[in-house]
Amino acid sequence: MTRNKDSHQRASLDRLTEALVEDILATSDADLINEAQADDDNGATVARRAFERASRTIALRRLAANRRAARGRRVVGANIRALDPKTARGWLEEYMASHPDAARKVRGALPARDRLSDEDVYGMLEALQKRGVLKERTVDQGPDRR
Amino acid sequence: MQARDTGALPLTELEVKRAISALAQAGWLRLHKAARALCRNANFDAEDLLQEAFERALDGSRQCSRTLDIVHFLVGVMRSIASDWRKARRRRPEMSLVSPTGTLQEFAIRARDERPAADEWLASTQAASCLKQAILDLFADDGVAQRMLEGIMDGIAGEELRSQTQLSQTQFESKRRLIRRRIDKAFPQERKP
Repeated sequence: MTRNKDSHQRASLDRLTEALVEDILATSDADLINEAQADDDNGATVARRAFERASRTIALRRLAANRRAARGRRVVGANIRALDPKTARGWLEEYMASHPDAARKVRGALPARDRLSDEDVYGMLEALQKRGVLKERTVDQGPDRR
Repeated sequence: MQARDTGALPLTELEVKRAISALAQAGWLRLHKAARALCRNANFDAEDLLQEAFERALDGSRQCSRTLDIVHFLVGVMRSIASDWRKARRRRPEMSLVSPTGTLQEFAIRARDERPAADEWLASTQAASCLKQAILDLFADDGVAQRMLEGIMDGIAGEELRSQTQLSQTQFESKRRLIRRRIDKAFPQERKP
């Protein structure tokens, strides 16, 4: 027996399966219901059960994904102004380091001054906080040193 | 401004869910019968196949065109999944971490040959051959049905198949239904591993 014969046997059965499925699709609703009654077929119940299970699985998957997204995105409830200036500057630098495009824009928008004032830093952190892009942490943790 | 062709947009996930929820008894029956047919030549469960198809439809990984009947769409999804599962089962890749010394520091990864082992291949070929013969034997009393079955298995379809059996269109459709019904009754459940 060769592997070609194996694939031939399978292909024969696959073609038969396809013909059976086509017939199922072509059969009228009334005939299908009559067949099910005659055969005591509970297929409709089985299919509905599979749908309910699938719906539950998808709902749970979405819930988990939403929770993950919320964890990754959410910000400090902290009062930015309560940070000491050094820590606030550290948070902003950390954000800029991980978002070079934003850093370039800030540098481009800066006046001749070579350094952001503390007020600038607080203002920018608050703006980032409002947009929900700051990593969640408590004021006590200070900048993330990873 | 050009009018958007909303017919080309797929159903949203919510619309898919509503369409499936609204299926009548015959729709559910049709889906289950199709799933059972797709599982007959394989070692998986019709309910699992249905559930997987529903999940892919509901999470949007398979999209249904607005012009397509939802049952036909789901049957298409099941066909595709069944085909993937059959291929995966034939390959049965298996990887394992083996620690010959029993320590975590030293281990080897053994990747199994994806081709089925000779004994597995022989067993599956024999099973397919036996199933084919068992199906043909179901129609030992009906030469026309046997010829039709052999034609289908050889890849003959439609008008060519009908003319080969020398049946009228109505007789042909009845015979095809008889074949399906008899196979359904003889193999009511998919084969389990």
